[in-house]
Amino acid sequence: MSFAWHRVTALARKDALELIRNPGAIYPAVMMVFGALFPAFLVIVVTPRVLGKTFEESGEFAEEAAKAAEMIPELAGLSGNALVQTFLFHQFSLLLLLVPIVSSMALATHAVIGEKQAKSLEPLLATPISTLELLAAKTLTPFLFALGLTWGVVILYLAGAFVFAEPGVARAVAGPRLFLMFGLLGPMVEFASLLVSVIVSSRASDPRSAQQLGGLLILPLTAVFVAQLTGVVLIGPAALVVTSLGLAVLNALLIWVGVKVFQRESILTRWR
Amino acid sequence: MASALVTAEHLSRVFDDRVAVHDVSLTVNAGEIVCLLGPNGAGKTTTMRMLAGLILPSAGRIAINHIDISESTAGAARGSVGLLTEAPGLWERLSVRTNLLTYSRLHGLRDSERRVDETLAHVDLLDRAKDAAGTLSKGLKQRVAIARALLHQPPVLLLDEPTSGLDPASARHVRDLILDLRSEGRAILVSTHNLGEAQELADRIGVLKTQLLALDTPAALRKERAGTHVVIECEGSETPITKAINSLSDIPAIVAAFVGEGKRIVRVTPTERSLEDVYLDLVGDER
Repeated sequence: MSFAWHRVTALARKDALELIRNPGAIYPAVMMVFGALFPAFLVIVVTPRVLGKTFEESGEFAEEAAKAAEMIPELAGLSGNALVQTFLFHQFSLLLLLVPIVSSMALATHAVIGEKQAKSLEPLLATPISTLELLAAKTLTPFLFALGLTWGVVILYLAGAFVFAEPGVARAVAGPRLFLMFGLLGPMVEFASLLVSVIVSSRASDPRSAQQLGGLLILPLTAVFVAQLTGVVLIGPAALVVTSLGLAVLNALLIWVGVKVFQRESILTRWR
Repeated sequence: MASALVTAEHLSRVFDDRVAVHDVSLTVNAGEIVCLLGPNGAGKTTTMRMLAGLILPSAGRIAINHIDISESTAGAARGSVGLLTEAPGLWERLSVRTNLLTYSRLHGLRDSERRVDETLAHVDLLDRAKDAAGTLSKGLKQRVAIARALLHQPPVLLLDEPTSGLDPASARHVRDLILDLRSEGRAILVSTHNLGEAQELADRIGVLKTQLLALDTPAALRKERAGTHVVIECEGSETPITKAINSLSDIPAIVAAFVGEGKRIVRVTPTERSLEDVYLDLVGDER
């Protein structure tokens, strides 16, 4: 099967231009940014101020934070309110993974179903583009956009920690764990979400129904977040690397399925 | 000898257990328009898709611009074909120029900007280049879609229902454009429901209903079946007599028989049947 980058970038560029002109596709991604940032700052910054007690004074999360300090090197050397705040910023950072999942899903479903609704797949397939190039093009723009958005959210998160938390918290949050989470795990999760969305979109005629199915991906992440916050599990750097490797294997499998789904004949005769 | 740029030999296509196209053979020569007529579900679009290298036949051979289509050559063959799909399929949020530039890049054309301008000028749409495709009328969208099919200057054009849903003026414009393209020496296969359009455009007409039921010039198709009836008017008789015949060569014997019976024949008229009659004869009237 042929593969030419000029064809991939030609179509990805077109998708990017369409995306800019389609606020409906970008809206869920942007909303997710606020949805992912809000709980952390509500719990870590707003609630103690409203109650008039710091975490150190209330004793909330002190036990979990002390336990986490043994596993997360960035927490070592911190104490009192700064330790709990850093612990919580680490825990809530998992929620930021919703941004790559939801935004890539929203953008990918529009990229594929948009072509179906415009009836532009057949003329597109009549060009020399290979189906692998088509799959690559349909994932490239959503991937880059969602990755940029995710990293933007991480910067906002750190900036928020710098401004609102105790001195030294932002620096402790911006450690290897965060780097692994958004430099390795984040792109892997995003790519999985993207591929699932593209595959589901081949069978759906409306972006929302595709997003509902793809939304099932959020469930395991939410379960891990809750388990982590209640102290049942603690996700350390090793767990992040292992999960990323597992996702790499899953992504390879999803690419294989995606290539099968993106056969010219299937697109023309079986896609609905 | 005419150069066949489209050759289909014993083409068949089966989807699961449904036969969509069976044993279709046809050629389209350079500078020729062949129209494919057929009812809905007759296999016209499937035939077009096979000829465009979009789907492979279950059996038979296709050569486009002298390239035999197989899994490995379909990409090259697609480069020789301009396909106009039934729906224009434009990216409506983007400008006409961006639509075409994207296709130009997909085809790997050099000097894309110039090529797009030339093609837009060809279909008389240069002044609408900056407009969003979604703001154009249906007729203009169809012209943009034709421009898209012409961008890479393919020698073969496959046009699926090119005037479907267009108002008479837009349809006229598209038909004139198709005739221009023929004069440039392209091989053009048009799928249509419009018998008048087929008669106006086609050098040859194929009637398809899973199989190719007929393929000939419009005149030959009518003539072949024109002798089905002959109307004989005799002196002293108010009602003309209609006789069924197999071909025009039957007429002298019928006239001789009338004369032998002592009748004085005033006029003998082989019935001039329309293309519609011929078409309905071939595909059956499924009302």
